[in-house]
Amino acid sequence: MPSNVSLAERRAALLHAAAKVGHNVTSILDTGRLLEQTVDIICDEFGFYYAGVFLIDEADSEAGRRWVVLRAGRGDAGAAMVAERYKLEVNGRSMIGAATGMGSAIIALDVGEEPVHFKNPHLPDTRSEMALPLIVGEKTIGALTVQSTEEAVFSDDDITALQAMADQLAIAINNARLYSQNRQLLARARRRTRLLEAAAEVGRETASILDLDELLARMVDIICDAYGFYYAGVFLVEPDAEDPDRQWAVLRAGRGEMGAAMVAEGHKLEVGGHSMIGAAAGMQGALIALDVGDEPEHFKNPHLPDTRSEMALPLVVGDADGGVCLLGTVTVQSTEEGAFSDDDITSLQAMANHLAVAIRNAQLLKELEAAHAELVRTKTYEALATATLEAIHWIGNKALPITAGVERLLEDLDRLPPTEPERLESMREDLEMIADSAALIVSVQEHLIGPAREEQPRPGLAEDVVKDAAVATVIPVEMISYTVAPDLPLVRADTTQLGRVFGYVLQNAVEAVEGADEKRITVEVTPVDDFVAIRIADTGPGIPEEDLDKIWAVFYTTKGAQHAGLGLSAALQVLKQIEGQIMAANGPEGGAVFEVLVPVYDGPLPEATLPSKKKVLLIDDDDAWSRFATAALKDAGNKVTRSADGRAKLATFDLILMDAVLERADSRAVLEQVAAEGAGAKTLVVASGLRVEEAMALIQLGARDVVLKPYTAAALAEIVG
Amino acid sequence: MTGEIKLLLVDDEELVLRSMEKTLLRAGFDVETAGNAIAGLALFESTLDGGEPFDLAILDLNMPGLDGRNDADAGLKLLSVMVKADADLPIIILTAFDEVARAKEAVARGARAYFVKGREAGLVDLVNDIIEG
Repeated sequence: MPSNVSLAERRAALLHAAAKVGHNVTSILDTGRLLEQTVDIICDEFGFYYAGVFLIDEADSEAGRRWVVLRAGRGDAGAAMVAERYKLEVNGRSMIGAATGMGSAIIALDVGEEPVHFKNPHLPDTRSEMALPLIVGEKTIGALTVQSTEEAVFSDDDITALQAMADQLAIAINNARLYSQNRQLLARARRRTRLLEAAAEVGRETASILDLDELLARMVDIICDAYGFYYAGVFLVEPDAEDPDRQWAVLRAGRGEMGAAMVAEGHKLEVGGHSMIGAAAGMQGALIALDVGDEPEHFKNPHLPDTRSEMALPLVVGDADGGVCLLGTVTVQSTEEGAFSDDDITSLQAMANHLAVAIRNAQLLKELEAAHAELVRTKTYEALATATLEAIHWIGNKALPITAGVERLLEDLDRLPPTEPERLESMREDLEMIADSAALIVSVQEHLIGPAREEQPRPGLAEDVVKDAAVATVIPVEMISYTVAPDLPLVRADTTQLGRVFGYVLQNAVEAVEGADEKRITVEVTPVDDFVAIRIADTGPGIPEEDLDKIWAVFYTTKGAQHAGLGLSAALQVLKQIEGQIMAANGPEGGAVFEVLVPVYDGPLPEATLPSKKKVLLIDDDDAWSRFATAALKDAGNKVTRSADGRAKLATFDLILMDAVLERADSRAVLEQVAAEGAGAKTLVVASGLRVEEAMALIQLGARDVVLKPYTAAALAEIVG
Repeated sequence: MTGEIKLLLVDDEELVLRSMEKTLLRAGFDVETAGNAIAGLALFESTLDGGEPFDLAILDLNMPGLDGRNDADAGLKLLSVMVKADADLPIIILTAFDEVARAKEAVARGARAYFVKGREAGLVDLVNDIIEG
C-alpha cells in the first residue's frame, strides 16, 4: 500500500496530469488527434500501461442495441484494436458497456474478479481497470478506459481526478465534433451558395443569349466551373429522319476538346434507349449513377473513360396544352464516385429548368425568324410573279399588231408576181416564223393573265366542272372514263378558274397518250377529309422522276418550244388561291397521275325562293348538274323536262335552261335552233366557266343571258328569279 | 371598193390603232382614228352637225377617258354618250379575252358587238356582218 506522503504526491501528480490533459485537449479541434493525444498524456502522466477512448456510434444501432467503438488506444495494442473496429455493446457485460450505459465510473481492482470485465486478448497484463463515462450535459457520448498492470491500483482520489479529466475530455470531444460539423455545414452552405449563384447565372445568361449554340456552350462551361465536374454536355431531341416513331438525343454542346470531338462526330443516343441520356429523356426524369460501373444504363463512352459518376437531367418545358414537352437532356459527369449530393441534384435540376426555358425561347426565336424569312420569300415571290405577269401582259399587248401585220404581209405576198419564186417562198417562211412567235407570246399572256385574275370562290360541283373541262378540251368520249363517288359534297372554288386547272391537266393527259398504244384517261372523283379529290390518270409514258418537281415551274415543258409550259404553273397558282392542292406522280402502271384537292364548301346554304308551277326545260346531258337542277326545281313545285339536244316543243315551256357544254351536241347549233323557234328570250345559258368569245357568241345567237352555272338552290333562284 | 362606208376607230395603243386601221383600209373601208375618248368624241360630234356620219364605231375600253384620265371603262362611257346621240350607230367594243362582265355591260349599254383584241383577222368579217345587218 502507498504511504500518506506518496499518496499526497500522487494526488498532486494526478491533478497536474488532469490539468495538462484539460489544457491540451481544449485547444485540439481535430477529434482523431485529440483522442490520440489524450490516451498518450494519460499513460505518460499517470503511469498507466494502457488507456483507450470509446465513442458511441449513433449510426450503428439496430433493434435497440447500441455500440460504443474504440476510437483511440495506447500503443500497438490500441492501434490494432482501432484497426479491427473493436466495439462493445452499450449496457453490455463489459466495464465500458456498463459505464456508458449507467453514466458512472466503474473500477475493477482485480479484473480477474470483475464479472463485467471482458477478457481482452490484446491486453493480457491488465490487473486493474477503471471505466469512466464521457458525459456532455445529460448525454453520455462514450467512455474512457484506463488500465494498469498492478492489482487494486485505483483509489477514490484517482477516480475523482480522472473523472474531472474525462469531463474535460468529453467537452473537448464535443467541441471538436461541433467544430467539424460546423465546418461541414459551412462548406455545404458555401457550395450551395455557389451552386445557386451558378443556377442564377445560368438564368441571367440564358435570358440574354438567344443564339442556341452559344447558349449551350456557355451552359456546359458554367456547370463544370461552378460544380467542379470534369464534363458536362447538352443533348437536344430531334426526330428520326425516316421513322416518325423514333427520336434521338443529339449532342449539341460538350465541355472541352472531348465535347467538341463528340459534337463534330454527331454523337447521338436514342430517346428511350439504353444510355442514361436516352433513358432520362424517355422517362423525363433525372437519372443518377453514382458509380457508373455498376449502372447498366450507362453507355461506356470511349471519349470519357474517367467518368465514375454521371447524372442525366431531362430538359422539359410546359407546352400550350398544359402538358410537358421534352427538349433534350443534360449530362454531368465526375471522375469521383458518388460525386452528386442532394444539393447538386436540386440545383442542377433548377439550372436545367432555366436552360430548358432558354432553349425553348431560342427555338421559338429561330422559328419566328424562319417564318419571317419564309414570309419575305413569299412576298418576294409574289412581287416577282406580279411583275412577271405585268411584263408578260405588256409584251403580249405589244405583240398584238405583229400577228395582224404579218397577216397583211402574207396577203400582199400572194398578190406579188411570182418572178422570184424561191425568194418569195423564203419570205413566206420567215413571216410564218414571226407569226408563230407572236401567237405564242399572245397565248402566254392569255394563259397567265387568266389565273392571275382575282378568284371568286363559290359552291360548286367538282364532277360537273371536270366534265365540262373534258368536253371543252375536245377529248373523245370513248377515250375518257369517270368514277364518281356518290353524294359528293360541294366544293369551294371559282369554277371558271377550276375549269382552267382541269383543262390544263386534261390537255397534258391528251398530249401524253398521243404516242401511246393504249390511249385512255381515267378521272376519279372522291371525298378525302375536307377535300374533294379529282384524280386524272393517263396511259402515257409518265413524268420522268427527276422532273416531278420541275413541272410546276413557269416555262417548264418537255414538249418543245411550241409549248410555253404555263399550264401547270397556272394550275398551281389557281389552287394556291383557293387553298387547294395539286400533286403529280406516276401511277403503278407508268402513266402520269395528277391529283387535285379542292376544299369542301363549308359556308352557309341560304334558303332559296324559286319560282313555282312553271314548266322548265333543261337542255343538258344526264349529269350531276342536271340532276341537281331538276331536283331543286321540282322541290319548288315546277315541272321539269330534260333534253340532251333541245329537240322538244319549245313553245310549251316557260323557261329554258341550257348548259353551254353539251357532250353530244353543239351548243351553238342547239341555241340557233332554239332562237329560230322564237324561244331565245326565255333561254338562259349556264356555264361552269365563262370566256368572252363563247359567252358573247351565245348572247348574239339570241340567248337571254349567259351566266355562271348555279350549284345551289339559292344561286339557281338568283338567275331564274 | 365600198368607199362610202365610214368607220371611227378609237384606241390609245398607237401600233394597235395603226394596225387595225391598215387592216380596215385594206378591206376598203374609210377609217378615221382617235387616240383617246376626247378625240374620238370630237370626231363623232363633228359629224352630227351635217358632216358625213359614221357607219360604225370601234372603241377600246381602257384608255384616257372623257375627263382625260386613264380609265378602264373609258370606252363604256364614250359608248353611252354616243348611243345617246345616235341610237342607230352600230358600235363594237374591244375587250380582253376573259372580260365577260365588261363585254356583257357593253352590250347592255347598246353596243352591237364586242371584239377580243389580237384576233384582228375576224374584225373585217364582223364589221361586214354588222353593216350588212
